[in-house]
Amino acid sequence: MVGFLGANGAGKTTTLKMLCGLIYPSSGQVLVAGHQPQRRHPDFLRRITLVMGQKQQLIWDLPPMDSLRVNAAVYGIPDRVASRRIAELSDLLELGEELTRPVRKLSLGQRMKAELLAALLHEPEVLFLDEPTLGLDVNAQLRVRQFLAEYNRRTGATILLTSHYMADITALCPRVLLIHQGQLFHDGPLDRLTSRLAPERHVRLELEQPAPAEAFNGLGHLDSLENCEVNLRVDPASLTRVLAQILERFEVRDLEVNDPPIDQLIGELFRQGSL
Amino acid sequence: MGRYWRTLRRFWGTALATQLEYQLNVLVELLAVVLSLGGSLLLLSLFFGPGRELGGWSWNQALIVQGFYTVFDGMTTAWLRPNLGAIVTYVREGTLDFVLLKPIDSQFWVSLRTFAPAGLSEVVLGLGLAAWGAHQSGVVLTPAVLVTVLLMLMVAAVILYSLWFLIAATSIWFVKTWNATEVLRALLASGRYPLEAYPAPLRLLFTLVLPVAFLTTVPAEVLLGRASFPLLALGIVLSAGFFAAARSFWLFALRHYTSASS
Amino acid sequence: MRIFGLNRRIVRALLGSQYAHMLEYRAEIALWALSGVLPFIMLSLWSGSDARSQLGLDGVALDRYFLSAFLVRQFSVVWMVYAFEEDALLGRLSPYLLQPLHPLWRYVASHLGEQLTRLPFAAGIAGVFFLIQPQAFWIPSLGGFLLAWIATWMAFAIAFLLQSLIASLCFWSEKATALERLLFLPFLFLSGLLAPLTAFPPAVQAWVRWTPFPYLIDFPARVLSGDPVDLAAGFAAQLAWVGLLLPLVLVLWRAGVRRYSAMGA
Repeated sequence: MVGFLGANGAGKTTTLKMLCGLIYPSSGQVLVAGHQPQRRHPDFLRRITLVMGQKQQLIWDLPPMDSLRVNAAVYGIPDRVASRRIAELSDLLELGEELTRPVRKLSLGQRMKAELLAALLHEPEVLFLDEPTLGLDVNAQLRVRQFLAEYNRRTGATILLTSHYMADITALCPRVLLIHQGQLFHDGPLDRLTSRLAPERHVRLELEQPAPAEAFNGLGHLDSLENCEVNLRVDPASLTRVLAQILERFEVRDLEVNDPPIDQLIGELFRQGSL
Repeated sequence: MGRYWRTLRRFWGTALATQLEYQLNVLVELLAVVLSLGGSLLLLSLFFGPGRELGGWSWNQALIVQGFYTVFDGMTTAWLRPNLGAIVTYVREGTLDFVLLKPIDSQFWVSLRTFAPAGLSEVVLGLGLAAWGAHQSGVVLTPAVLVTVLLMLMVAAVILYSLWFLIAATSIWFVKTWNATEVLRALLASGRYPLEAYPAPLRLLFTLVLPVAFLTTVPAEVLLGRASFPLLALGIVLSAGFFAAARSFWLFALRHYTSASS
Repeated sequence: MRIFGLNRRIVRALLGSQYAHMLEYRAEIALWALSGVLPFIMLSLWSGSDARSQLGLDGVALDRYFLSAFLVRQFSVVWMVYAFEEDALLGRLSPYLLQPLHPLWRYVASHLGEQLTRLPFAAGIAGVFFLIQPQAFWIPSLGGFLLAWIATWMAFAIAFLLQSLIASLCFWSEKATALERLLFLPFLFLSGLLAPLTAFPPAVQAWVRWTPFPYLIDFPARVLSGDPVDLAAGFAAQLAWVGLLLPLVLVLWRAGVRRYSAMGA
């Protein structure tokens, strides 16, 4: 499962569409599952799927079941097989009688789950998900996330995911791609991206007694000092040494070591425009 | 092929189910069909009277033309308008992407996705009217004539579909071309009346440029046993040409869509 | 000073913005103008038909009648119910309802803006018509032109009120726009757009005169083309229809808005 990050307008959706074969690359070559996407060969199309959080393929006035039957026919899935898959997937998605209620009467979360079901009916090997949790409440986001993790575990399908919610990415994606100003900025695990963007750890201290600023010399960069509350930034390489020294020098009531929140870091990267 | 058949059955099954969600609409549509046919007949009757003809066509013969026009108007309501009118929506809402990602021909999808059953009543009424007109004009229906009429109706259907499709496909570029089909509708309305009722320049226009003549007048002439073979051949050639044009225009439009949009 | 909630500044701002908006859609409006060619097709039919003599329109009078019918239609087309439906669907209606101006005025302004955008295209089509039929060319007298203008605006007012009536019904049923189709059909056949009213049998004519339809096309077109026509009776009928429809629309609209806000939609 790969998370795909980038600022608004960085080209996430464009890239996804290119990978699906909806947009032709102006130069270079794309290869997905051994196919050139822009040919949109039926064999290729049967192996991929695209879910877009802000667009829907289900028929608005009818229950999702009808759209599912249409998809089964389009993908040439025999009825028996289709029914079995629908049963399996709806079980995973916790969809029941929602499948027989008109789409327009479903909540956004139920609708998204039904969209996922419709997109996965043909058991694609590659899933392109563009903002699948857009606009959902926290609960529904969590449900969708759990489903994707489970689906990925069961089928081993490749999933490429873009999302505005960092929680989606942190929860699901061991590998993260970040595009920035048209360039691939990062490709690898999320924590490596964090250490690249913010090479320092945040250390928060609560002391028993106030200490002067000079007392922290040589312990890293002092961010703030307010009575007993101290915020430090420390190089990871010297973290253990610094922590030991702190515990030695001060009476510490509480101590926390944090990575700076990843969405804040990425947000800063996008705001600054460059590093 | 079997997959396409099955898909088509599913398409129309869902279309029917959608219609049933709005039963009042079906009722209104049916009423509209009756009103429209009544109005058309009233209007047509204004041209006739004792000893009066329209371009050499008698009242009963003109009824055949009117009947065929009603058939194709019904076809437009039942099939062309709901499907091809939706291309604009596909483009505007970006759902064309989903269509293009299905392992099925996209023109098949956008052309046959749905249908409006109310239009079928118009088709039936139109066929009835044409049959009545033919009967009153003393037409004797031989198998050969029947086959030719059906063939020419097919030709007409292909021409009508291709014209609509050509215009509807331009909505890939201009999201607001829906009213271009209104221009087409206005011009096609000329098919209500026999071609001979129009002045010569319009006759030429309606035969070669916008082949309205082949929609109604030519099938009616076949039924009356006075169509010439070259004209039929021209109709077949035109329909093939228009269909090929519609197909290649769609592929061209898709190339544009996939290269420019985001 | 405010009349019906309007003052000069509001009128100018509304018309100006709507005209600018409509200019954005000029290609679309040009196509709409072009889709009004039906009267010309009917003219070519009537000109060559045996039934022509019963129309009471000799020589160029028939050409002028259908050109006038085309022009009147161009400047009295109403699409209010569709705009309203879209606004309701996209949730734009609620802010309009909050403004201290009757929302119908907004639609009136957008129609007037559209008519202004349409003007050059309609004039162009009329120009082509005169190139093909130079003998039909005529310049109406100033008085005749002004009367025709008023008659066309009255026709527009009647058509607009009819559609507003349907739009008000949308507050109760979301599919009320289907009714517009049922209204359009008798309009199409009985208004004089496809055949002058005099073509109909006397019994039908007498009956049709009790409907609003002939006052939408036939009457203004005859005024514009300079046919002898009973001006007093025509304008009286137009005024009567406006007088009948206007209070009906206002009452129904107010009830609809009350229902709409009660539903909290």
